[in-house]
Amino acid sequence: MRLNPDHFWTYGEWLFQHNALRDGAILSVVLALLGFVIGYIVSVFKHGPSEGFLRVSQIIGQLFTVDLPKMSFRRIYAVAKLAVKESIRKKILVLIAIFIVAMMFAGWYLDPDADSPARLYIVFVLTATNYLVILLGLFISCFSIPADIKNRTIYTITTKPVRPLELFLGRVLGFTAIGTFVLATMGLLSYVFVVRGLDHGHQAASLDPTGRAGETSFDSRHRHTFTLNSEGRGTTNEAKGHRHIVTKVGDKVVVGGPIDDLTARIPIYAKGLSFTGRDGEKNEGYNVGYMSEYQKYIEGDSLSRAVWRFEGVDNSLFKDVILYDLTISAFRTYKGDIVTPVGGLIHFRSSDGRVKSEDEPFKVKEFQVDRRSVRTKLKGFIDDKPADLDFFKDIAADGSFEVVIRCQDRGQYLGMAAADIYLRPADLQFWWNFVKGYISIWLQMFIVICFGVMFSTFLSGPVAVIATVAALVLGFFGFFVDTLVNTTSKGGGPIESLIRLPTQMGSQIDMELGNETLQKAITFVDRGILLAVSQLKNAVPNFSQLDTANFVAYGYNLFGGLLARHLTIAFGYFVLTALVSYFFLKTREMAA
Amino acid sequence: MATSPDLENRPATYDNDPTKTIVETRNLGKVYRDFWGRKEVQALKSLDLEVRRGEIFGLLGPNGSGKSTTIKLMLGLLFPTQGRVFVFGKEATDVSKNERIGYLPEESYLYKFLNAEETLDFYGRLFDIPADVRRQRIENLIKMVKLEHARKRQLKEYSKGMTRRIGLAQALINEPEFLVLDEPTTGLDPLGTRDMKDLILRLRDEGKTILMCSHQLADVQDVCDRVAILHQGELKELGRVDSLLKIQDLTEIHASGLTDDAKRQIREIIEKTGGKVDRMDNPTTTMEDLFLEIVKESEQRPGRRGGRGGN
Repeated sequence: MRLNPDHFWTYGEWLFQHNALRDGAILSVVLALLGFVIGYIVSVFKHGPSEGFLRVSQIIGQLFTVDLPKMSFRRIYAVAKLAVKESIRKKILVLIAIFIVAMMFAGWYLDPDADSPARLYIVFVLTATNYLVILLGLFISCFSIPADIKNRTIYTITTKPVRPLELFLGRVLGFTAIGTFVLATMGLLSYVFVVRGLDHGHQAASLDPTGRAGETSFDSRHRHTFTLNSEGRGTTNEAKGHRHIVTKVGDKVVVGGPIDDLTARIPIYAKGLSFTGRDGEKNEGYNVGYMSEYQKYIEGDSLSRAVWRFEGVDNSLFKDVILYDLTISAFRTYKGDIVTPVGGLIHFRSSDGRVKSEDEPFKVKEFQVDRRSVRTKLKGFIDDKPADLDFFKDIAADGSFEVVIRCQDRGQYLGMAAADIYLRPADLQFWWNFVKGYISIWLQMFIVICFGVMFSTFLSGPVAVIATVAALVLGFFGFFVDTLVNTTSKGGGPIESLIRLPTQMGSQIDMELGNETLQKAITFVDRGILLAVSQLKNAVPNFSQLDTANFVAYGYNLFGGLLARHLTIAFGYFVLTALVSYFFLKTREMAA
Repeated sequence: MATSPDLENRPATYDNDPTKTIVETRNLGKVYRDFWGRKEVQALKSLDLEVRRGEIFGLLGPNGSGKSTTIKLMLGLLFPTQGRVFVFGKEATDVSKNERIGYLPEESYLYKFLNAEETLDFYGRLFDIPADVRRQRIENLIKMVKLEHARKRQLKEYSKGMTRRIGLAQALINEPEFLVLDEPTTGLDPLGTRDMKDLILRLRDEGKTILMCSHQLADVQDVCDRVAILHQGELKELGRVDSLLKIQDLTEIHASGLTDDAKRQIREIIEKTGGKVDRMDNPTTTMEDLFLEIVKESEQRPGRRGGRGGN
């Protein structure tokens, strides 16, 4: 998993600097205007232009003068409670049983030789829960109101002083409550499944004559090597994404349970990354081709450097050791010795460059996290004179410092992005990060329920399901729609493609119909369709962005800011769907 | 007069005066259209009627005559395509009017997975009734409709009669001023029908206004003060039940203690002397006869309104 720059935006930055508030406001205004215009047109057909305008205005006016102020929590609760009972009657709790069965057999299919079993287990449980819960939300929300209309039970509700918004809110809250229960149960089961599934032990299989190093037994398809300090304590090496604590008690070496496999790192990221080229001049980093879109590269054995600038690092977060992780990659221009990784040098320096630590060599661990550390008491240079340094007194006196990396191997390149080095002051409890991952799933379920209930206020059950699935697909594959609309895809838009397919006109050649006007018209309509699809995509939530399973699986703390953004998005769609539902419930003849 | 030609000219305050009428329809019409907006059927044509405070008003008509449409328009379940309907002086689409209305739908469209208590609790909450009041009312209503023994049973296990009774209880949970009863006696046994009719009369005596539509003509005859008879979406007859059923040009004499001879000369005996006249009155027809006669007339002469009744 790679963290993108947008993951680091604070809530405020996202809302104001990156225009989330503006985009949300534009979307709301456009939809409100669209709703008014469509409502007016329909009303004109029924009542004529002036009466039609009056009626649409009345509906909008009543929202603020009557329907919102006179909402009753007791009524909302009654409708919600009914929705819960209705869901239970539909035996949706069977879903939990299905999930349990899925987990019972999952062990057969999860690859035991995977490099990181923890990641595999977490991704499995989160993805399975995500899909099941979204399906649950979809079906319970889409069929409820249409069933009430079909059974005419809606007659006994709308002839009571129930307001349209109460009907919407009650349904959404009820279905969300039952969904939350299902999700919480699945989450608990998943947690037990992951923790128990990964738990294993080793015995010390061999110890070298010094008594300081050895090898563990081969269990759970792997073994570790370990080293012990003079006090008889140590850790194993990392294998399958975890380590073990090893302790010597008398003559016996005890290997503890796995650690570091279920983590939630709270990284402190650099505020900026800059590069210098092979001549020592500042540049943007080298681009080695398509694969380097995310990362930029520095050249080996030259003056090329990557410099990360950290600010506001509090020394109270670290004691004797500063832990940091590296996730940089290598790009080889020649094969060389393929077994030996590309090497680099790293040092820390003060912002003014006067104080710097000694260079420490490292080997690039590609596709895995290189967990490293630097002691706070270290050797280095002040004004190029050797000196004993204290990290927080000499290098990062004001909390800011720089990390400099260069590549050692001539002709090879090291690739890095701003997020490829981060400090690890402390880890969050894994279970809490796991819960946050489930909150993300909950938000997706909530949005699906809102959309399902909204569509069910004016469509029949099956059609509401199709409409909600369409919104989901647009949400999940928004990037694909973007590609379709924003790039000049070969073969044209939908109409042009329809002509090309039966006439076997290859996509490499320009379409020639022999009629320029027709051709222009087709291109114009195609562009219109694509634009409409693109706008539709903007009106539905980007579900792929809301999916945060990888944060949990790759052991990153799910940032509070990111979760707050997702909460805001969910709330935005909740308000939007509530208003659309209000409009349809208010204007719909329940007995028609 | 129930129908008034100058309804449109009445001062606006009339509609807002709750002492006069509970329901007032003005030139009310409903056309059902298909998806494309094409006219399918005119279910109701220019209906003008009033339901007055404290009366039991019957809505009669064969299937498809517009009874249910009228009720649905009054309750805001449908929107009129012509004219207007006011309930308690408010537009029928105004949700707040529902606070004073109780509605028993035709088939008791209730949630079958709830039991009697849960049903009443649910509808009580929809009226925003506080918990303690709700509890008391649920208790009283369950007793009133004699469902104590089945209060914890799901409605799907109920017989049709029991379903009607719990339906009625839910219609009364808010102690409504105005009750709309759609076929209240359907599915009830004779004893249950009698109970229902007694209850309707009792509710009227308590000051409630009741609008009922029914196919059970005898029931309508027994309980309604006034009736409107609809056919093919048009109002065919409107008036007091006793006036409508009276046959004006006939005299009926109930006599006893007459000899056979006296019977032969009954006309003379009455005019001159002898025997004891117990009762002398206009004879009445039954609601069923009246109803069938109106339907027959209406089919022979569409669009014409009958002229039997008074107010």
